[in-house]
Amino acid sequence: MAEHHPLEIPVIDMVRPLVGFPGHERFALVQLDGASDLCSLISLDEPGLRFLVVPPAAFFPDYAPEVGDDVVTDLGIESAADVLVLVVLNAGTGLHDTTANLAAPLLVNPVTQKAGQVVLDESGLPVAAPLLG
Amino acid sequence: MLVLSRRAGESVVLGEDITITVLEVRGDVVRIGIDAPRSLKVHRAELLAQLEESNRSAASPSDDLVAQLSEALGRERD
Repeated sequence: MAEHHPLEIPVIDMVRPLVGFPGHERFALVQLDGASDLCSLISLDEPGLRFLVVPPAAFFPDYAPEVGDDVVTDLGIESAADVLVLVVLNAGTGLHDTTANLAAPLLVNPVTQKAGQVVLDESGLPVAAPLLG
Repeated sequence: MLVLSRRAGESVVLGEDITITVLEVRGDVVRIGIDAPRSLKVHRAELLAQLEESNRSAASPSDDLVAQLSEALGRERD
C-alpha cells in the first residue's frame, strides 16, 4: 500500500511561499507514521522549521477549494487529479483544540514537485477551523 | 502615500494594466473593483495578516505535541 501513497514526495519547490515565510522555497514532505495521514512539511532552508499538514478529506469531506489559472500555471498543473491538497494544522494538546487553515490550503503538484499556499480570498473559509467540527 | 479623492464610478490606473474603480460608497463601506492581470495576487490586507499569524503559530510544533496529535489521529481512525 505504501508504494501508492501520494504523500511520499522527496523535495518540493514552494513556488508560492507560505504567507509570512517568503524565501522558504525548499521543503520535504514526510508522512509521520502509518497510523494517520499526518505529514510534516520540513523546511530545507531553515533548520528546525516545520509545519504539520494533513489531507483535509477525512475531517472536511465537503472541502473543495477552487483555484485560479495563475495557480494552475505556477504549479504546472495539467490535471486536477494530480494535485494533492493539504491543510496546515495549528496543533493543540489534542484533537479538540487543533485547528486547520481552510482559507489558505497547501497545494502540491507531485508531477512537477511544485507547491504553494493558495490564499482563497473570497471564500469566507475559516483560517482556524476546529479539526473535529 | 499618494492620496487621491475619487467619486463613485471614477478610477485610478496603476502602471500599464491595473485599474481600480470605486464602485459604490455607502456609509463607511467602499466597494472597489480591481481590473488586473490574473497573475497579480490581490488579497484583503487583514486576511494576509491573519494567515501570517496562523502560519507563525503553526510553525514548528514541539515533538510532544506532534506525537500526541499523531496518536490521537491514529485512534480516531480505528
